[in-house]
Amino acid sequence: MVSVELREILKILGDFRLEIKSLKAKEGEFLTLLGPSGCGKTTTLRIIAGFEKPDRGEVLFDGRVMNEIPPYGRNIGMVFQDYALFPHMSVFKNIAFGLELRKLPRGEIEKRVLRILKLVGLEGLENRYPEQLSGGQQQRVALARALVIEPEVLLLDEPLSNLDAKIRERLRGEIKRIQKELSITTIYVTHDQEEAMAISDRIAVMKDGTIEQVGKPLEIYYNPKTEFVARFLGLSNILELEAENGKVHLGKLCFNVGRDGKVKIFFRPESVYITEGDFAEIVGHELLPGRIRLRLSIEGNEIIAERFLEELPFKIEDMPKSVGVLIKSYTIL
Amino acid sequence: MRTKLILSFPITFLIIFFYLPIISIIHEGLWDNGLTLKYLKAVLSNSYHRGIIFFTIGQALASTLLTLALGLPGAYIFAKYDFPGKSFVKAILTVPFVMPSIMVALGFILLFGKQGFFTQLIGRDLGILYSWKAILIAHAFYNFPVVVRMVSSLWQRINPHYEEVAMSLGARGFTLFRKVTLPMLLPGIFASSMLTFIFCFLSFSIPLILGGYRYATIEVDIFTSIMTLLDFKIGSALAIIQLTLSFVFMYIYIKSLDMYAKAEEQRVFRRPQKLTLRELIGLKGLLIGIYSVIVFIFIISPLLAVLYDSLIFQGRFSLEWYRRVFSAEYNPIFGANTLIAIKNSLLFGFSAVLLSTTVALIIAYALHRWQFKGKNIFEALVMLPLGSSAITLGLGYIRTFHRPPLELLGTWYIIVFAHTIIAYPFVLRAISAVLKKIKPNLKEAALSLGAKEWQAFIKVELPLALGGIIVGAIFAFAMSIAELGATYMLYQPEYTTITIAVYRFLSARQWGSASALSVILMIVSAVSFMIIERVGEEIW
Repeated sequence: MVSVELREILKILGDFRLEIKSLKAKEGEFLTLLGPSGCGKTTTLRIIAGFEKPDRGEVLFDGRVMNEIPPYGRNIGMVFQDYALFPHMSVFKNIAFGLELRKLPRGEIEKRVLRILKLVGLEGLENRYPEQLSGGQQQRVALARALVIEPEVLLLDEPLSNLDAKIRERLRGEIKRIQKELSITTIYVTHDQEEAMAISDRIAVMKDGTIEQVGKPLEIYYNPKTEFVARFLGLSNILELEAENGKVHLGKLCFNVGRDGKVKIFFRPESVYITEGDFAEIVGHELLPGRIRLRLSIEGNEIIAERFLEELPFKIEDMPKSVGVLIKSYTIL
Repeated sequence: MRTKLILSFPITFLIIFFYLPIISIIHEGLWDNGLTLKYLKAVLSNSYHRGIIFFTIGQALASTLLTLALGLPGAYIFAKYDFPGKSFVKAILTVPFVMPSIMVALGFILLFGKQGFFTQLIGRDLGILYSWKAILIAHAFYNFPVVVRMVSSLWQRINPHYEEVAMSLGARGFTLFRKVTLPMLLPGIFASSMLTFIFCFLSFSIPLILGGYRYATIEVDIFTSIMTLLDFKIGSALAIIQLTLSFVFMYIYIKSLDMYAKAEEQRVFRRPQKLTLRELIGLKGLLIGIYSVIVFIFIISPLLAVLYDSLIFQGRFSLEWYRRVFSAEYNPIFGANTLIAIKNSLLFGFSAVLLSTTVALIIAYALHRWQFKGKNIFEALVMLPLGSSAITLGLGYIRTFHRPPLELLGTWYIIVFAHTIIAYPFVLRAISAVLKKIKPNLKEAALSLGAKEWQAFIKVELPLALGGIIVGAIFAFAMSIAELGATYMLYQPEYTTITIAVYRFLSARQWGSASALSVILMIVSAVSFMIIERVGEEIW
């Protein structure tokens, strides 16, 4: 188990500028780099792997500077978005590749390959060629190939984005399980916030080549530091209002903001509770499995609320024109 | 960084064996105790040379048109339909890639000459031989497979949705083709036309042998200026004109190739339609049949004519020509015999393969995998030899390597170097094509698994590129074996090759012996052809 740290990294690629002051994945941690395409997350991963050299700054594994160490000396396992399985080698040969380079004895290689195949649930497919496998199977081979060399760091570059939704959900659970079982420091790149929430110990949200916020999934979900993070992680309510005496009043709502002037108040739809009352007008609704999403208007400000059906103080069939609202937690951006 | 030092090998090789000779020609043609344009003026004001320059361009244009006329229907058939025997016709189309032009020229003499097969069949001399007609037909023979290959590959990649949308908007038939399909095919048509044009512009053996005394290209003109008239100044001035023009054409070709590559990147790949039995016996089948037969006759008949002629002695079936070729008494080659010629051809061929493959592999790898300063210039410099011609190169070698410190004239390896320079751009193309298909992250995956750069190359990239390397090597071998112009200018009698020997027999008008020797060439080429077929790499 090692920790992975980036310090004062700068990388310029044409017009694009990647700048990371500091980022650290602790021993055995599952850290996800999350952001829209073009935000620099893959470049960051490739710098950690050693495929790209930073123009400035340091990459450290357990405090050791790795900048000058080539990828093959870093003891990493990497899974690529398109898997990069060697098309001229069977599944067995693909997985054995790293072990053969390490000059392990034949029997040992065979033992380890079969063991890892079992771990990823691909027993019996060792003689197939990559083109004979489904997308999900190819993904497992790529994961097995990266894991079999017992790397100190596992790097995954959007490993699930080429798969369809059902397989994606199943595989992300398996990746998490295997990672916990081997307790291997893992850095995972994705643009899918739900995937990031489900799988990560911590998430680093990236935008335009910089890190916006790092934190545990729920922390950045409920307490985003910027509007970008708030919006990228899911549906959000952001109210821009005027504060007086450290308070903002909206209908019968009162927010304690602790300062005066313009403020942005943020809260998630599920923090909005529906009560009996009449200061919030219902302007629209959408039914979801077991839940309802309501669009409400309070003094011209629109907010979204999401609740389980049984929590509503009324029946869907006779929905009132307006309701009361309670906001249990909020953050000031 | 250390691995990139390996680049100094191909760079040094190109500087000494391509750029130095070219510079010596420019010096020869433009320098006379100071810069002078008098030799260029002498060439341009002479109506004979001017006529040759116009003829060279004119015949190249006409040959290109004929090639298109022959190739486009094939491109259509190959892109659209699957029919029995398709792979066979496809294989036949590979033949011109490996067949020496001197043998094809001989085949044309045997078919269209006064005693020729077609002449006898029709009952009168069509006047094809020793005229521009023979030159055009032979050029089309060589180039129409290129058109079929490049255009059909593009045709298969046109997303059917475009045509479907156009049809839903009311376009159909020829309008649909003209407004939608044709514009999308244009990059392919243009790039293959440019390639054909350059080939015809720099053509040597075919106009030399089939053009008679009245029709010559610049290439032939340089050759006669130097080898017959010993006028190096005029020869160099002609070479400078040719170089200038061909570099312009090359530039257009490379630009058009970029467009072609972009168009070919389309992921869509339309499966050719399998023809039903009904369609096969209908009009479509008939047209495909006719085209296949034309291809077959066009490509195979010169070869059959040579084979047939080699086996007929005084009207009877006999192996006499073969006996004569291998005996000393009828030998017009001085200082060598047929066995030595075979040995030389193989020696030069294999050496050129080794050298050009090494040079091309390093360059291709650098172009596709490495980033370094001045890469654009590097790319241009390594592509330029494609625009030079064999005769120009020969002239440059005579001027550069006749005195110390590089007194290499008269050695056997100077011939190998010339063959390498001529062949390596084609090897480069074959290897680049496969390297482009190998995703760079395969190498990265290997590196992440603990492979060093060279291990990743040997274990992952090389096996995947092997097909392309073999095809490139065979191109190099076929070109070395078939090379006439530069070899003729540089060889000593003891380094006679089979191709030179055939030319000697042709000059002595000993058709039978020329045919018998050509059959030996044909066997060597046939082996190359079979290896290409076995490798199965799409040179298509």
